[in-house]
Amino acid sequence: MDPRQQPLLRQRLGVLKVLAWSLVALLVLVYAWLQLVRHGEYRQLALQQAVKVRPIPAPRGLVLDRNGHRLVDNRRALHLVIQREDLPTRPEVVTALAEALVVDPQALARKIQSYRLAGKGRPLVLKENLDEAGIAVAERVRARFPFLSVEVAPRRVYLGDDLAGHVLGYVGEVDEELMKGKPGVFHLGETIGKEGFESAGNDKLKGVDGQKRILVDQLGTEVANFGQIDAAPGRSLFLTLDAGLQKVAQDALGTEAGAVVVLDLRDGGVLALYSSPSYDPNLFLNRLSQDMVDRYLANKVTRPMVNRATQGIYAPGSTFKLLVALAALEKGIISPTTPVYCAGRKNFYGRDFRCDKPTGHGSLSMVQAIAQSCDVYFYELASRMDIDDIHATAEKYGLTERTGIDLPQEKRTRIPSRAWKKKAVPRDPKWYAGETISVGIGQGAVGVTPLGLARFYALLATKGKLLTPHLFYGFRDDQSDHLEPAAFVPPKDTPLDPRHWAILDEGLYEVVRGGTATASALKELTMVGKTGTAQVATFVDRAHYARQAKALKDHALFAGYAPRENPQIAFAVVVENAGFGASSAAPIAKKLVQYWFLDRLQHPLPAPRGKLVDPFAPQQTEAAE
Amino acid sequence: MRERFRALDPHLLWAVLALIALGTLTLFSAGRNTPQATIWLKQTLWNGLGMVLMLLLATTDPRRLFRYSFPAYLLGLAALAAVLVVGRKIGGSTRWFMIAGQTFQPSELMKWITLLYVAQRLGSRPADEVGRLELFGAVGLVVFPMLLIQRQPDLGMALSFLPILLLIPLMKGLRARWLLALALLVVVGGFGAWKFGLKPYQKQRVLIFLDPSSDLQGKGYQVNQSRIAIGAGGLIGKGFTSGSQTQLNFLPVKTTDFAFSVWAEERGFLGVLLALGLFGLLLSRILDAARVAHTYAEAYFCAGAAGIFALHLLVNVGMVAGALPNKGMVLPFFSAGGSSTLSFFLALGLIMGILHRARLK
Repeated sequence: MDPRQQPLLRQRLGVLKVLAWSLVALLVLVYAWLQLVRHGEYRQLALQQAVKVRPIPAPRGLVLDRNGHRLVDNRRALHLVIQREDLPTRPEVVTALAEALVVDPQALARKIQSYRLAGKGRPLVLKENLDEAGIAVAERVRARFPFLSVEVAPRRVYLGDDLAGHVLGYVGEVDEELMKGKPGVFHLGETIGKEGFESAGNDKLKGVDGQKRILVDQLGTEVANFGQIDAAPGRSLFLTLDAGLQKVAQDALGTEAGAVVVLDLRDGGVLALYSSPSYDPNLFLNRLSQDMVDRYLANKVTRPMVNRATQGIYAPGSTFKLLVALAALEKGIISPTTPVYCAGRKNFYGRDFRCDKPTGHGSLSMVQAIAQSCDVYFYELASRMDIDDIHATAEKYGLTERTGIDLPQEKRTRIPSRAWKKKAVPRDPKWYAGETISVGIGQGAVGVTPLGLARFYALLATKGKLLTPHLFYGFRDDQSDHLEPAAFVPPKDTPLDPRHWAILDEGLYEVVRGGTATASALKELTMVGKTGTAQVATFVDRAHYARQAKALKDHALFAGYAPRENPQIAFAVVVENAGFGASSAAPIAKKLVQYWFLDRLQHPLPAPRGKLVDPFAPQQTEAAE
Repeated sequence: MRERFRALDPHLLWAVLALIALGTLTLFSAGRNTPQATIWLKQTLWNGLGMVLMLLLATTDPRRLFRYSFPAYLLGLAALAAVLVVGRKIGGSTRWFMIAGQTFQPSELMKWITLLYVAQRLGSRPADEVGRLELFGAVGLVVFPMLLIQRQPDLGMALSFLPILLLIPLMKGLRARWLLALALLVVVGGFGAWKFGLKPYQKQRVLIFLDPSSDLQGKGYQVNQSRIAIGAGGLIGKGFTSGSQTQLNFLPVKTTDFAFSVWAEERGFLGVLLALGLFGLLLSRILDAARVAHTYAEAYFCAGAAGIFALHLLVNVGMVAGALPNKGMVLPFFSAGGSSTLSFFLALGLIMGILHRARLK
């Protein structure tokens, strides 16, 4: 009964022992295969999932007004992103993710594909600027899709809300169309300026992204940092804009559509440039809410996205008479003292042209004609000139070119000529002398931008200096917070005869002293300028504006400079469909001058402060002001 | 008292102490910076309790234990039936009793009781006197608790009963028709199990084993990460508490099923060689005990115990390397857990008792 006497059992137990060691040997072989033969491959895999290279987004430079008030600031924002190396590959995962985020699966798949092809760089942003509710949603989605992560990145805040929407513009993700045109200039996922100075000054404002190598755990949380190249923030810069004056312009225009431009006569710096209705760039922060932009753009009635100051073409009306007078003087067709009789109307080429004053002005010199804004006088001048003479004078004084302001898509002022008509109206290319008569009072084919108009009055104010308007004032020295003034395009001299100039200046003075804009005279200093009332029904806009009753009312204009003795600023004001220029545009100009020369020194307006509440804003940023 | 300690077999004892040391280091590293930071301490308590039990059993006459095997078997069956009714459900299966705030898994102990009872039944006479009917009866004794356990469901645990059937070829030798019958059983049983017996998640495991890359985000993720951990360990390992797979939580369930991957990553192939060598010594010594045992029942018990330890080793160490399906079988002395630890020590105590008695005579 003793098993030890059982040779068969002993033998079989011996076999079991061999089997046991064989098992151990087998396992050793398996581990040798994994740990010795394939070690390199697995070490690589372990490194790949634990060590990540992540871009550090560089904040864009701040934008300050000329007094150092912040117009554009940066805040910390959280985005739900997929890092480039974590982009999902399997279509069913992409579809499920699109469902969870409520986005179009095909668009998401396309986006993921293009990011994958683009290699390393900024992550793919799925949801931007998460608020508290957004973070909760993001965390829930992340639990299902662990390859998502939440990125901290700087975000733009426009402190004045809609104070300077058209000037500042907004930022967004670079679109692929733009990248195709300029390979190597832009990178996928990069934030660039889309409109306004953000766009025109993009190269100045943008920084250089940094990079860090970090150790992450299974949840993608950063555990250690192996070293980084810091992001180089974009440089902060000053604009020539004065936030206080801009605010005066905004308040003065109120709900009216129109534009205000104020230029600094020393260098052409833009002190105020307001287009109404304005827009709040903060609305365009979320790059996925493109429909918001579209809805704005689609508003064909108020067209808030159009910068009326640089892109709006208005018939200048009587403000153009100064150029016609100048052309006449230079051409020598009339002496400034030669009287012209106004009977309230005059017939040219078989057609009756009426004056504003039906009873007629009587006999007028040039200065009186400017002051009273007599149409017949200027019909008379125009009838004695060719349209190409007027065009040549306009060209000489820079009115036919773009002003060259550092804002995107500036429109060119339109001064007609025979060559122009041949090109613009091919079905009726001949220029008729009757058309010149209309141009004589700033109607007909002539159209100016408020900025172009302001620049022409700046030329009159400076006795013939052609300024290049600009917004960029200079970079901020980050140590001292002081302005480092940048070079500006120096004013160009034009051959404006001082005698001619004196007549025009005298005329403008009379407008405010005893002419059409006496109500806008100031006691403390002499503001000079010319009113304009432009018929809306010009040949480009008639079809469009005819749809609305108010839209048929005339546009009111006022352009001028101040103070007369020692001009410092020039301005142009346009109020759409407001009727007579003297009653609606000139008072706005008066408010601008009042603030700039009087109120500003005693009670400057406070720095712009947005109403946007930012849940992640560090408190110091506010206090730094 | 010194007499009692003399009952401990030094070969087994050193092998076990060494394995416990490795296991504790592994758990310390695996639990670091997680909510389970003190799991190594808890496991040390279980190990201590286990060793006390081991000491008690080593100094007990094995024959007395065999005498109680039948009532113990009946009690075990009752417990398995009860756990299905009143057991605590964790993660979709009902395997545990809650006793004094601790979970207790009756199937762990039942494995050893079944082995004890079957060994006692078959070992009551010399092998050639045991009839075919008795053999079938023994198979039934093993299969019945397996079926109860598969109801929980817990396939890994159920399969860990299979080494007990190893006793049959041990007694009767391997014959061609046995092998044929076994092959048939595997094919028919496998087909039947696939068709009726396996739960969907168990089927999925098999499928994922056949193609781990098919489900990298889900179930295949675990084994894939474990392979990366093992492979990245290389020859000498990443160093204690320095494995990136372990410390950055890429490795799943690292204190239980995948504890050996932690060891393999941080200690490398040399560490694996050491651990497997110790396991080899352990198995070898248990089979030695079978050879010197005084009764057939004792010899069978030791042989079956070696089979059970070997199966745990094969399935767990093979599984974490991706060489076997993801079966959820613990590795003795590495995986944290009270019931399994105590059960392993109980078995070792019994084996030491058998060795002790053999030495005394």
